[in-house]
Amino acid sequence: MIGALLSSPALASIGGAIEFIFAPQDSSVTGGRQVGGFDQVVELTLSQLELTLLALGLSLLVALPLGLYLGHRGTGELFAVVLGNVGRAIPELALIAFMAAAIGVGVLNLTIALAVLGVPPILANTFVGIHQVDRATVDAARGMGMTEFEILRKVEIPLAVPTLFAGVRGATIAIVATATIAPLAGVESLGDFILGENVYGSNGVLAGAIVVALLALTLEFAFAGLQRLLTSPGLKLRSA
Amino acid sequence: MPAAEATSQTQSEPGASSVRYEGATKRYGDSAKPAVDGLTLEVPAGEICVLVGPSGCGKTTAMRLVNRTVDLTEGDILVGGESVRDREPARLRREIGYVIQQIGLFPHRTIAENIGAVPQLLGWKKERTAARTAELLTLIGLDPELGARYPAQLSGGQQQRVGVARALAADPLVMLMDEPFGAIDPINRERLQNEFLRLQAQVRKTVLFVTHDIDEAIKMGDRIAVMREGGKVAQYATPAEILMSPADEFVEDFVGADRALKRLALMRVSDIDLWEAPLAHVGQATAEVRAKLAAPDVEVAYPLLVDSERRPLGWLSARDLAAETVPARPDSPLGPVIERDDVMRDALADLLQGAAQYAPVVDAAGRIAGVLSVEIISEFLGSSRAKQEERSAVERPHD
Amino acid sequence: MTDPSLVAAVGEVGEGFFKERSSDTLPCQATDALFCWDWARENIDRYGTPTVQHLELVVISVVLGFAVAFALALLAHRRRWLQPPLLAATGVLYTIPSIAFFFLLLPVTGRGRDTAIIALSAYTLQIIYRNTVIGLANVPSSVKEAARGMGLTERQILWKVEVPLARPEIFAGLQIATVSTVAIATLAVFAGGGGLGAPIKAAINFKTNIIIAGSIAILMAVAFGLALVTAQRLLTPWKRAETT
Repeated sequence: MIGALLSSPALASIGGAIEFIFAPQDSSVTGGRQVGGFDQVVELTLSQLELTLLALGLSLLVALPLGLYLGHRGTGELFAVVLGNVGRAIPELALIAFMAAAIGVGVLNLTIALAVLGVPPILANTFVGIHQVDRATVDAARGMGMTEFEILRKVEIPLAVPTLFAGVRGATIAIVATATIAPLAGVESLGDFILGENVYGSNGVLAGAIVVALLALTLEFAFAGLQRLLTSPGLKLRSA
Repeated sequence: MPAAEATSQTQSEPGASSVRYEGATKRYGDSAKPAVDGLTLEVPAGEICVLVGPSGCGKTTAMRLVNRTVDLTEGDILVGGESVRDREPARLRREIGYVIQQIGLFPHRTIAENIGAVPQLLGWKKERTAARTAELLTLIGLDPELGARYPAQLSGGQQQRVGVARALAADPLVMLMDEPFGAIDPINRERLQNEFLRLQAQVRKTVLFVTHDIDEAIKMGDRIAVMREGGKVAQYATPAEILMSPADEFVEDFVGADRALKRLALMRVSDIDLWEAPLAHVGQATAEVRAKLAAPDVEVAYPLLVDSERRPLGWLSARDLAAETVPARPDSPLGPVIERDDVMRDALADLLQGAAQYAPVVDAAGRIAGVLSVEIISEFLGSSRAKQEERSAVERPHD
Repeated sequence: MTDPSLVAAVGEVGEGFFKERSSDTLPCQATDALFCWDWARENIDRYGTPTVQHLELVVISVVLGFAVAFALALLAHRRRWLQPPLLAATGVLYTIPSIAFFFLLLPVTGRGRDTAIIALSAYTLQIIYRNTVIGLANVPSSVKEAARGMGLTERQILWKVEVPLARPEIFAGLQIATVSTVAIATLAVFAGGGGLGAPIKAAINFKTNIIIAGSIAILMAVAFGLALVTAQRLLTPWKRAETT
């Protein structure tokens, strides 16, 4: 397999893909109109990014408060855990296709469908993270005169940051992955390249795949960095 | 009204309130048996009241009723004359120090931030909080520099002390302590108990102290409430009275068969006139030391090696004294070292444990204050002064 | 809507799927009903092959992924310096969307089931690896000490003490990986790997079709999940099963 990797065809493909990203190419299908190039790549990347962030925002809006509330109260554990498990089982392609067929295409509908994918990991992880904060620490906080909300804000959330972020990152990965096939629901994204070999050629397909991978990795890095920023040094010492 | 708004002095100011239980009752759900049953007692301001009893007797619940981490079913509790029912729980708790067994330090905050937690809730200015934090760290015997560390970097004993400091930070009117030294090894526990008593002598807070250990109760308490299952008080009296006149069979059993021995906990080493040992310094001419030994009024026949701060280092033997100058390493090790604030019981235990004839007694700073032996203790116990002390201990609380 | 030629490309495959039985239009589709029971009853056997393909994809990928991840975890268990880089490497494979991964592999492995399997296995690595490492690390050192004192070799301790005690975590990781893989394998059709994604893609506007294929996938995921949870409970009788 290493041999196949290093052989000319594979390398040539990568070269062709990189060309595609940066310079418009001639296409056999569209008859004269060029495809690819930096502008188009950026346009589709931004479209996918926008979609991802919108869906993530919606997921957070729904799942975060609920998870915080339930986790602090300690109720609804079964619900949160089961939802987390069920969320993992949702087949993305079926979800998108069904949504498109039943409700219709468009950014709004797709955002809601993507949020459906993002809510379970965020809800489950938020619940578990808050609920698993050491009871003695919460007792001390309550006993010293913090209100319930202060306990959540000053004690439980900071101590749950790693788990919370695990949920957000998981949701992001699922959403980015599904946003890639947004074209099936009539929304532009890098999936246009990946699914459109006829139009964009094999170079376009590979280029799309590379850019999607980079997009996903960049988001992951960004969240990882944010997490490190928000994690108290005291926590890092404890787990060392 | 809240004393927390007063200046942050730790001595003399009456920053303490009395706590009065009036028929306080707590029932959980539909259960017929209450966890706390009609508790009525008064803790005068500035005193330590120990709630002691077997597991499940409701002592922790009774304590938690005061800061409303558990709410009353019937009856009332007055802190400084004001009913706790009239106060908003969160605000009430900011005026009451709260120390729990597992400590519950915030792992994500520095020691200084932990200590400053309640001041921050009360809106103190940063400088005031910082000054208070430094003051408290010194008070509990920790290097103020440790304030920048995180709980994970401290030992268990240090964390426990920080827990106490955190409770004291906003100069509360009342302190609630639930088995605060329970999770510590016996040696450090003794030390922490002594430290806390020293602290209390300075700050004079009203303390509700929960423990299952009768020895700890006798040592720490100005007054003890022995509780039995069902949340009732079997006897509420000074430690001496409980030891000498237990109210019923339950109290007698709970105190234990070695009641007489426990009375040794009512007195402190500082109550005794200690003997003096001749002191020697490293490098001193042994001739001088031998001269001291030969003096007619010498009480202890062995010289004690001390450092420049008068802290004991070891006992000198005849072989040590045969040299020209006093050696740096004495022949005999130090053996048990007794603190002057130790209760007699602990001192006797240490002496017997170390199988030493004499043990050096040091003050709070570790400097030599005298020498103790079993002989000295038994002489003292037989004296009329000791009997007088005991009798008066029945009335007044520890001092 | 996107480029018309893209829709045309999808339509081509669709015709192939439904070519045998119906003529041009599917009768049920016209009524725009949510679910056509008649059609479903008549054509349910069409889903046989995709379901079997899907099962194969999932089982092979998870087994492969488990084998690799477990080996890596054992490797990293003794050599702690390996843990961060391995975690990062498996993390990268987890982050890259599977569909992108399919097409990244294309120049090397070509279209077909193998590509799908490699990508799906890669996705499972991180969760299985991390859970195994954590599971092994959570074995109380006192137990290991006792075992060492009894005279067991390091190898025996690993296999007779550490791995069994780490079973709950390992199974949890396996369960998560399997359920996720069932869901993601619907995309395997884009790599030419078949599976339940094929019928969906073939008639992407036909609701009944989507519902059938999607339900089979969800049922498969749930079944695997339950089976693994049960297996976990049976194999760790000393511990009450904890929720993941």
